[in-house]
This record gives sequence, C-alpha cells and structure tokens, in this order.
Amino acid sequence: MSPGIRLQRTLSRAILAESDEPQLLYVLLEATPEGMPAQLPKLPLNLCLVIDRSSSMRGDRLNQVKEAAGRIIDQLGPDDYFSLVVFNDRADVVVTAQRATNKGDLKRMIGGIEAAGGTEMATGMALALQEIQRPMLARGISRLMLLTDGRTYGDESQCVDIARRAQSRGIGLTALGVGNEWNEDLLETMTARENSRAQYITSAQEISKVFNEELQRMHSIFAQRVQLQIASRPGGMIRSLDRVRPFIAPVPIVEEADLRWAANLGDWPSSDVQAYLMEVIVPPLGPGDFPLLKISLRYDLPGANLRDQVSEEIVHANVRPVAQVTHEVDSTVKYWLERLVAFRLQANAWQSVEAGHLEEATRALQMAGTRLFEAGEIALAQTVQEEATRLLRSGSASEEGRKRIKFGTRGLMGPQEGGDPQGQR
Amino acid sequence: MQTCSNCNSQQLNGAIFCADCGASLFTPRRKETTMSLSAPMPSGVIDTAEPVFIPEPENEATGPSLTLVIMNSGRRIKLDISEDLLIGRKDNARGIYPDVDLGLDGGYDAGVSRRHAILSFKNHTYQIEDLGSANGTFVNGKRLAPQVAMVLANGDEVKCGTLLMRVEF
Repeated sequence: MSPGIRLQRTLSRAILAESDEPQLLYVLLEATPEGMPAQLPKLPLNLCLVIDRSSSMRGDRLNQVKEAAGRIIDQLGPDDYFSLVVFNDRADVVVTAQRATNKGDLKRMIGGIEAAGGTEMATGMALALQEIQRPMLARGISRLMLLTDGRTYGDESQCVDIARRAQSRGIGLTALGVGNEWNEDLLETMTARENSRAQYITSAQEISKVFNEELQRMHSIFAQRVQLQIASRPGGMIRSLDRVRPFIAPVPIVEEADLRWAANLGDWPSSDVQAYLMEVIVPPLGPGDFPLLKISLRYDLPGANLRDQVSEEIVHANVRPVAQVTHEVDSTVKYWLERLVAFRLQANAWQSVEAGHLEEATRALQMAGTRLFEAGEIALAQTVQEEATRLLRSGSASEEGRKRIKFGTRGLMGPQEGGDPQGQR
Repeated sequence: MQTCSNCNSQQLNGAIFCADCGASLFTPRRKETTMSLSAPMPSGVIDTAEPVFIPEPENEATGPSLTLVIMNSGRRIKLDISEDLLIGRKDNARGIYPDVDLGLDGGYDAGVSRRHAILSFKNHTYQIEDLGSANGTFVNGKRLAPQVAMVLANGDEVKCGTLLMRVEF
C-alpha cells in the first residue's frame, strides 16, 4: 500500500428530505495516515524558544523553563537547529540558531537567564523570527515556541503581524500562557492560523511536560503543507469549517474561484488524529442521488520524498420525499457539533462582554453551559455556570474562569489538579 | 425553514442547533407548565461602577416573583412567590401536585423527592427549606439541614438531588 492520507466522511443525515429551499448538512471529515513506515525518517527541526523573563517569571516559573529547555536540547538530533530569545523590556538572543552539538554549553547559556523588568512581547517575537530564519533549511519543520505569564501593552497588533508573517512562511507558533495574568485573546489571535496553537498552563510544574509534548509532535510530523479544496455543485456553499480534533479551532476557508473553497491545514503530526466539521448549504433538490461536493486533500510526504499527493472523497446527496425521511442525526456528528456550539457560544459571550452587553453575554454563557452539560462535560459546564453567575452579579468574569472556559471548550487543557467536589452525574 | 423556540429566529432545515442562540432545534420542546423565557431582560441597566440589577417588570403578579433556571433542559420558570411554593415531583396516585414539578426535567432519575423543598418569600428575603428529602437540597454546594430555611442570593445555585438549578430575582 502506498503511503498517504485516508479520508472518511460522516454526514449529519444520510438521507435528505426533498426541498424547494436550501437546507443545512454537516459533514465530519476524519483523516488518518496509512501505508506509512512504522519508523518515520526524522525531518530536521528548527526550534526557537521565545521566553518571557519579566520579573513575574522569577522563581519556579523560570526554573521550570530552564529545565524544560534542557530536556528539549537533550532530545535534539545532529540535524536539528535550536535558538533561544528572551524578552522583558527589550529582547536578547541567548542562544543563536545553531545545531545542538555542544549541549552542555547551550544549557549553561540558558542557566544564566535572570528574571527582571516588564513585558514587551513584540520585540521578543521580532528578534525570534529573525533568528529562526537564519539557518537555511532545505526542508524541515520550523517552530517558534513562546512562553509568557503577563501582559504586553501597546504592541499587541505588532505581535499579531509578526505571527502572521511567520505563519505565511511556514513557521508555526506555539504560544503558552502560564498562570492567570496573560492575555488569552492576544495569544488566541496570534495562533489562529495553520501550524499554530495556544495553550493554558495552570502551574509551572506542567511546563516541562507541555514543552516535551510539543517536541514529540514536531518529531512525528508526516505530512506538510496540507491543503483542503472543496468543489460544490451549483447553489451549494461551505458556510463554515472548523477543526474538532485534536482541538477545536475555526479554520479560515475562502471561495477562491466560483464554487471552489480552499483552506490551509498546515503540517500534520501522526500523533494526533485530524478531524474537521463542515457546515454545507445544500441547494433545493428533488428526489434522487446527486453529487454534492468533491473534497480534495493535497499534501507533501517528506518522509517518503513525495510531494503534491492527493486524496479525494465525493459526497453525494441522497434525497427522498419528505414522508420517507426520519429526523435521526448521526451521533458522532452531534457529539462534535455540541462541543463546537459550546465553543462558539463562549467566544460570542466574551465579545458581548467587550461590547458592554452583559445580558447577552450571560445568556450565551448559560446556553454554553447547557450544551456542555448535555454533552456530558459536567466539570466544564459547572465552570461556565459559575462564570455566568459571577457575570450576572458583579458585571465581570474572573481571569482564571475565562481562561479555563476558553481553553477547556477548545479541548486544550490537560487534566486538572483537584477533582470536582460536587461529583459527576 | 424552522423557527427556534428559544429566540424565534429563522433557521435552515437540517440545522441541529440555532445559529443565533445555540438552543437545540432537534429535541422537541416539552410542553411547559409555567411561563418560559419570553421577553428579554431590559438591557443597559448594568452600571460598571455599581452593579445594580433591575428585575424583570412584573406583569400579572402583584407580589414578589422569582425565576428558576433548570440547567439540564434550559427551562426557565417564572414564579409568583407571594405564597410558599412546593418543589418536587408530581404524583397523581398520591395527589401530590408541586408548584414546581421537576419530574419534567429528569427529576426521577436525579433523585428528587415528591415533596422535596419549599421556596418562600419572608421578611423581604427569598428562602428555601428542605423537607427532609431523601437526596438532599444544596445551596451553592452546601447541603441544607432539613426544616431549616436558608436565605437565597440572586444567582445562587440550588440542587435537589443531583438536579441543578439557578435562582434569579
């Protein structure tokens, strides 16, 4: 079997009712690697750590970062590049981009980092982007890994610009926020493109584990420059596309030509299952079987030296008279849709809070809580309800609550310390 | 097109959750026994300096009122509390007809007793009292001693058995 990606699609309803109006169909697309050798040849990595060394990082947090960076260095191979940039009120290169040969020296350089001063993230990001582009890698995986525990002021849009520049050059950004004082909106925005993710680290002890997981992910990338293309029959439309596995995130999708939509899905690690949920508007159709969508996935398989591979899937609309159609919804589609709706509702709630519409925000959070409760996510539902109540009583939400909800509904929080005292249903 | 029973917006056929308010379109709504969510609360009343919450204007009720929000179903129940209200589960055979029938919201599975708790308005405060229920009444996670009334604050979470609700007034 030749290596590639296998696509599997599930429709919200296998049979559609005939209609003289457009109707909505959900398509879940799951992708798994197949035919790949058990041991993938390792692609060279180019990793730059961008570390906040403001005074709030003093003590446990910075110590954990140093230890985590040391562990990463230990796991790098002879073809991998490593660099490290620190920032507070200004930015400095601590380790200039180089192969990880003298590991002892690298760790010593990192050991000397001290915490002091304020937080100016844009200067750190700019210097890191400069540094990470110095090695001329013919092929490989470049990633910026940012860790911060505080807020930067006045340079937020610069941070986003720099992130976008990196992403457009195939350099992904992993942004980690430690504690409760950092700006989750900013990190979310910075990582809202391919090859990027934001994560909430509740305690310094987790830093090492998270760094390590990211390295494993980078080491297991098997497909690069994955692009999704969807062609629709006339009258059809892709209303939205969201990733649901490994975590929930909206995916920008554009109609690049008449009835052809495209999205960039980035590099795929074999350690994560990829799944996407699409909302498709189906044109009015009478009874019959109609091709509705042609889904094409294009990608490179650098480990097998293959480029521009294609996997395809055709989705048909099976339309019958109204009387013959049940209203059953596929349970897997419903499972993911419930979580996606909860995620969207909490995102809307925070926007309403920004705009000063506290009534709307509370209603949206309450509904998100109901969706999560029905989805069986009891602990998260209770967190959402607590924040809705806090919002109702005091007019604002808590820093920690907001972060738990944003990242909990995405699926980007690991198991939390302390059980749920009220117990699970 | 279909109409969302929660917010009255128009949604495409095939939609499973309302794209505007997130309510479920798929599960058929149970027939409500009391008035459910109708007009939205008056907006613009929250003052950022001093949060003051103005309750929904009372219509037919001349006395105090309270709203119970059932978490698992999203059902909002507006109650006239000028007289004490019984929370429990309807039982025709024994002639038990609570003012708030939680049997409609999965009360049987949640361990709600037929006569579970009493909501009342006394001395200008909203109170709840557990009637010696089998699985207890909890306010913000703390279990109430039977027959000892507890004062409620706006937004408090009340649990009968494992059925979670919130009070608003």
